[in-house]
Formats: sequence, C-alpha cells, structure tokens
Amino acid sequence: MTGHIIRWVDELDDRALPHAGSKIARLGALRRWGVQVPDGFVVTTDAYTRFMDETGVLNEVDTILSEISDMTNSAQIADVCGRARSAIERQPMPQTVADALIHAYDELSYRDRNLNVPVAVRSSATGEDAQDASFAGQFDTFLGVTGSGSLRTSVQRCWASLFSDRAVAYRMESGLDHRESSMAVGVLELVDARASGVAFSIHPVSGNPHRLVVEGSWGWGEAVVQGLVTPDHIEVGKSDRRVLNYRIAQKTVVSAFDYTKGRVAQHAMPRRMQSEAILNGEELQAVVEAVLAIEARYGHPVDVEWVIDRSRRPGDPVTIVQTRPVTVAAAEEPPTWDPVRYAAKYAFGNRA
Amino acid sequence: MANIVSVDEYVRDAGYPGFKPEYGYTPWATEPVRTFRKEDEKRFWFMDFHWPNGLSPMGLVFLQDGYSWGTQWAAQNLPLPSGKGITQRLGGTHVYASEVPVESAWEAGFRAARIEENLSEFLPSFPRIWARRVWELETALTHFERFDFRHKNLADLDQNLRDARVFQRRAWEIHFEMMYPLLANYLAFYGVCGELKIDPVEISKFLQGYDTKILQCDRELWKLTAAARTAGIGRIFAANEPENLYRALRNDARASGWLETFDAFLGTYGWRTEGISDINLAPWTEDPTSPLGTIKTFLLKDEDHDFETARTAAVEEREASIDAARSKLTKEEQVQFDGALRSCQHANFAWWNDEHNYYIDLRATIPLRRACLAVAEAVGAGRRDDTLFLFWPELRQLASGIKKWSTFASIVRDRRQYYEHWRARRPQMPKVLGTIPNAVTDPILTEIFGMHHHFFNAMKAEGRPLSTLSGVAAAAGTVRGRARVLHSAQDLHRIEPGEVLICEATSPNWTPAFAKIAACVCDGGGTLTHASIISREYRIPCVVGVGLATQTIQDGDEVEVNGTQGRVTVFRRSA
Repeated sequence: MTGHIIRWVDELDDRALPHAGSKIARLGALRRWGVQVPDGFVVTTDAYTRFMDETGVLNEVDTILSEISDMTNSAQIADVCGRARSAIERQPMPQTVADALIHAYDELSYRDRNLNVPVAVRSSATGEDAQDASFAGQFDTFLGVTGSGSLRTSVQRCWASLFSDRAVAYRMESGLDHRESSMAVGVLELVDARASGVAFSIHPVSGNPHRLVVEGSWGWGEAVVQGLVTPDHIEVGKSDRRVLNYRIAQKTVVSAFDYTKGRVAQHAMPRRMQSEAILNGEELQAVVEAVLAIEARYGHPVDVEWVIDRSRRPGDPVTIVQTRPVTVAAAEEPPTWDPVRYAAKYAFGNRA
Repeated sequence: MANIVSVDEYVRDAGYPGFKPEYGYTPWATEPVRTFRKEDEKRFWFMDFHWPNGLSPMGLVFLQDGYSWGTQWAAQNLPLPSGKGITQRLGGTHVYASEVPVESAWEAGFRAARIEENLSEFLPSFPRIWARRVWELETALTHFERFDFRHKNLADLDQNLRDARVFQRRAWEIHFEMMYPLLANYLAFYGVCGELKIDPVEISKFLQGYDTKILQCDRELWKLTAAARTAGIGRIFAANEPENLYRALRNDARASGWLETFDAFLGTYGWRTEGISDINLAPWTEDPTSPLGTIKTFLLKDEDHDFETARTAAVEEREASIDAARSKLTKEEQVQFDGALRSCQHANFAWWNDEHNYYIDLRATIPLRRACLAVAEAVGAGRRDDTLFLFWPELRQLASGIKKWSTFASIVRDRRQYYEHWRARRPQMPKVLGTIPNAVTDPILTEIFGMHHHFFNAMKAEGRPLSTLSGVAAAAGTVRGRARVLHSAQDLHRIEPGEVLICEATSPNWTPAFAKIAACVCDGGGTLTHASIISREYRIPCVVGVGLATQTIQDGDEVEVNGTQGRVTVFRRSA
C-alpha cells in the first residue's frame, strides 16, 4: 500500500496528475524531456484521502464548515476555516502514511548523501492550474524544511491549506464540493539558489508572441512570486535570442536561508547586490533555452520558475521548479507596416 | 463637458471700415472665409499663430485662396477621411480657424476607401511628384521675379496683379496637396513608434540630417560672413544697426565688391519674407535688414559655423538613434519599423516641412505684394504700400482705371488705424472661441498646431489656476529659469541670457534668440515645428503644443521646463 502513498518524480509524467497534482506531475514530465528538475517525491492524493478518512478528521471538518451560514461574512469564514485547518494540523497521521513519508525522506537524504536534506514542501492540488489560474497561489509552500518532524508538520499544513479562506470561499461560490478536492504534496530537494525567478515564453502583458520575458532576483524565487521585491526585467526576441532590454531593478528584499529559523525567510538585500544584474549573458541564454524548449514541448505558451544553482557552471542546465500554461491570451500577429491603416489610426483623429 | 467661449464681441464688430461681406467670399471653396456669426459658437475656433500682426485687407486674399481654398481643395482630392479642410473667421484683423467636418457616416467611409488607393500610390511616387511641382513653382516664380515693372502701363500692371493672385492660389494648392499625405504618413510612423514603445523624443532624430534649401541659404549667409571678414568690413557691421547697414555699406567703397556678392545672393535667396504668406512683409530683396542683421550677429562669433561638422554630426546622431531603437526590437518588430522608416525617408515630411518654405510659405505671396506696390506707385498713392489696405474688388477697380486713388485715400487711412488697433489688442484676445472639443481630426491641426489631448485639457481648465502645463516633448532636458513671454519677434532683443522663452510659436527670424535662452515653450506646434527643431540643434529643453502658455505664464514667473516629459511647471509667480 505504501506504493500509493509516495511516488517519486522520476516515475511521473502528465498521466500522474490525479495522484500527484498538476505541479508535480508536470515536473515529472519535464524530467522525462530532459529538463533539469529537483529530485524528490510526492505525497499522493491517496495519502491525503487516507488521512482524512481513516482519522475521521474529514467528518470533523464537514461539521465545522457547515457552520458557514453567510458567504459574505468574511469574519465568520475566517474563523470557521481557521478551526478546520487547526483540526487537520492537530490530527496525527495514520501510521502507514507517516512511515512511508519518513522512509521516503530518508531515501531522498541518502540520494543526496546528506543528513536531513533541506527540502521544499509544495502543495500540488489537482484543480490547481489545470486549465485556468483560479487556484494559483492559493496553497502553501514551505522552503528549507529539514528533518522528519518538520516535514510531517509541513505536509499537514499543506493539506490544511486546502481549507484556506480563499479556497473554501471559491469552492462555495463555484458550487464545488470540498470532498471532491484533493491535495498532493511535493517534497523536493531544495536547490541552493544563487538567483531565481520566472520566465514567460510570450510577453505576459501584451501577449506579443515574439518576445519572452525573464524576471528574477537573488536568492529564492518566493520574494519575486509573492511580489515582495521588484525583480530585474529582461526582454528577449525569440527568433534570434537577442536581448532587447535588460532593466536592472533596485532589489531591496531577498529570500535567503535563515539558519536560526531553520527555513527560508525574507531579509534586507545587501546594498551592493541591490543594483547588480542577477544574470550574466550565459546564464540568461540558459534560462531562455529552457523556457523555449518547454514551450516547444507543450506546444503552447508557458511560464516557468527557474533557479540558478549556486554550484552551476557555465554550460550547465538551469533548474526548473515549476511550469504552467500562460494565462494571458496571445495577441494577434504583429501587423506589418501599412501606411494606410496606420494613417487611419493615427493621422485622422482616432487618438484621445 | 463642453466649454463655450463667446463670439459675441466679434459678431458685433463691423470689420474694416467700408468692408462689405462679398469682399470676403470665395464661392468655390467648400466653406468660405467670413466674419463671425452667433452660430459659430457651436464649433471650435483657434487663433492661428502665423500672423502675429493680423492681416491687412489684401492679406485676406491669402485666407481665401491659400488657407481655405488650399486646404479644402486638397482635403477633397486626397481625400481626408473625416474632414474637408480648414476655414477661417475674423476676430478684428486676426485669424481664427476651424476644421470643416464630414457630417455623413457614409461619406466618411467612402472617403476612407478612396484615400486608401490614393495614399498607396502617392507615397512611393512622392519624389517624382514633388519634382514636378517644384518645376511648376520655379517656372512661375522666375516669371514674376524677373518681371520688369519699368515701362509698364496700368493695364499691364492689372494683368500682373491678376496673374500673381492666380499663382499664389496654385502655390498653396500644391502646398496642401503635399502636406496632407506626407503628414499622414509621418503621424502613422509616429504611431507605429509609439506602439513599439520608442521614446517620442527620438522619433524626429530618425528623419534629420538631410540637406534643404533653407540650410543652403544659411550656409550662404555664413560664406558672406567669412567674406565680410576677409574684406575687412566687419567694423561697418559693428558700427551700424541692421536697418542702416545697407546704406552704410553702399556709402563705403571698401564694401563694393562684397555688396556685389551680397546682391547676387539676394537674387537666389532673397525672395523671402520673415513670416509666412503675409503680404505686408517686405522680402529681403526689398529690405535686406534681416539677412544683414544676421550677418552682423554671425560676425560677433569667434568662429564661423561649421556646417560640414554639424551635418556629419546630425547624420551620425540619426544613424545612432535608429540603431539604438532597432536594438530593442524583436526581428519581427524590426521588419515593421524598417518598413515604416523607409516609407518616411522616401516621403520625408521632416525634410519637406523645411524645404517647401523656400518655394511657397516664404515666397509665393511676394509677386502679389509687388503687384500691389506697383499699382500704388502707378496711381500716385500716398504711401507705397497703401494698396495693401484695399479689398480685392476695390484694387481691381483702381488697377483697371475705373476709380481714382482719391476715392480711397481716406478710407485707407482709417483702415490702417483699424489694423494698428487690432495689432495691439492681440495679446489679450482669447486663444480659442466657440465650443471646446476633446479632439480634432485634421492632422494639420494635430501636428502643426499641437492639438493633442493636453492642449484641450488646458483650454478647458482656463480660468482655474494651473501650475503645471503639459505639451509635446520636443527637445529633451530639464531647466529652470525666469519666464519671458513674447508675442512677436520685435521684442526679441529684450530677452536676457538664461531666460525661458514663452511664445505662441517661433519662425526662422527668431533663431538668434536661441543662442541666449535656457528653454523654449510654445502654445502651438509639434515635434517638427521651428521651435522644436532649433531647440534640438541648440540642445535646450523645449515643450510645444501647450495651448495656453502665453496666457497662463507671466513675464518674470519662475518656471521649470521638462522637455523630456513635456511638462512646464510654474513655481513662483512674479509680483
């Protein structure tokens, strides 16, 4: 039975989505295509189901949630959901699940010849990002978790995040049954990030299909993804990989490992690093290569989270830790120069 | 939300003494020039900056033949999709203009379809078309400029008068026939650059550095300067005011050789006035004060202006800005940009906007002026330019011998007073009349007069104190200084070094001021008007198309001009 509780990334591909959630299933698919992704495993949706059913905490959560009478009362929702999450986090895992988890973590540590290898614990919901972005960013991620104790806690917190205020409200408004929702949790080796960020294979704002955008900062990508830091912004022409514009930002916050807290946390950026470009030409081209290869494989625009490993040397691949279909509608083909059309638009009074 | 500025005062004004409404009408234009009527309040009228002195009665012929007929004829032939050209009204002697709208939705669509065909043919053929028009202009100008007024009887002079009017009209038909499509192409290019996120201040650099007849004239003036130095007559220039220079040079034997060269120069470049199409302005051939004054200023400099170096620098800057802009574009965007740029280089509005002044704006009214002056002399008028204060039908009666000069002597005196009265009133007159819109459709209004959205915002805010004005960013840089508000070139000498020039618009004779001022702000204009181009050459910040700068800012105000972003801020009011 343990085979269903844990699956390894190197066993997965897109068909694994129902067990592994889209985030981790996609990492498996990428790995099969030759993209460098972190090693790790997923605590499957089956494990979640067993936890919720065998311990009876599902019924407890049901009861708590039924107290919501007024969908517009955010204070009530916050209170009820908070109690539901606490119930989940307090509940000890069934022994089989706990054992499988610890066994997998030991295996991962061994693969890395490491004691208590630091990991990223990432929720991977089955509804998340599948076709739309409604669930994106609603569930939790924990970086820099070490040791089986913290790992168990983190996994349960991820399960509990299925009952965040937003997620619950969303399901209620959309008429979805929380019993139908399920959560897989990825446990991935934490890549020691010198720099990380996101990349879009088309322009995320204009939809221009001939430009790609790379954004990033020093350290881990959490600060960028959560919008805590203004990242460097780079635009590249896709046909010839030419750098069109590199806008260096004043990066004032960095996600870095805090050994006193035992996890990745936000810190003030050292002054000299604030206005320094985070990627050199070779690293940038490596990120560009990766995102274009992924777009080509999927056959549609994508965005990715990339990491430059501290130990990376020129020519080494870039590590991809997440990929999603892009949610911006692609623009039409850029118009060619047509003096008549442009004169009609700009010369004869159609401007504000 | 419409603001309405009343036209009542101008409806009540009877116009020039002895004015009859039929004197102003041209039946064949789409909409003729006339005096104000109350219903004009429903439309938007703006004061045209080209005639700071106002127009004399004969000056109104230009409005009919050049401005109304020219724009309207061109608008019908291109055709402009949503407008039928421009018409005018008179506020005293001053010109208010408005676009003639296309009211019918069907007609607008029909015109849009027709211009598609015509514009696609015009743009690639432009060099050939312009060459033919230049041939027309040169052929006609040669006839008039070589016309021998001696030994001519009144009938000959009457014929010359009629011929000169015919020519002026033809010259201005050509003017707008070229200007509308070139401008449309330029604005289209400007729009493409905007979509490609190219900095607007860079765009005019892409089209700079091509030689024009106006630049050639400037070069000749510098050659004359060098020749004056060599001839050792610099002291004559230093010792005399520009108005007295020609006489002083004639009286000095040392200058005779130089004067011969100067006279030859006038033969080619001297058929030129210090303002566009104003029959009341004497050309350089009649009064060389301006070129001699310019040479006088040039002599004060240690070195002659190095045109070769300046031209090379302009070309280098052009190529560098094009390269810089292209480097930020994807390959696909480059294809689009390159196509647009090539089209504009081939049908180059920036180049033509300067070049055509040599044939048309500064020159095509001179034959009519000379014709009028010749008639005045022949009939024994009191002052040599008295005939400029007759309306065309009256002048024809005079020139065909039907009436004698004595009939008109007194009314001409009255009209001169009317002219002077309104010349003095101009600074206080409203810049706009009627109903203020949110936008206009005629590209000439947009680009030449600078009527972008901030222009209309400024108009609508009039009355409320504005500390920040917006306009077109014409020349980059930010500078702060004391404002000097000027309403004509006559007060140019009052500018102190480091001041910020605030004016309706500038023209070539304002150029000497640019060596002194710290920045320039204009009510009207766009990136290719004189103030913009000269400011960029002199590397001083410039903002144009502000709308109400001359009315909002006062002499002595402390202002900051941000030419990179197109903003003017008033920091401190003068007492």
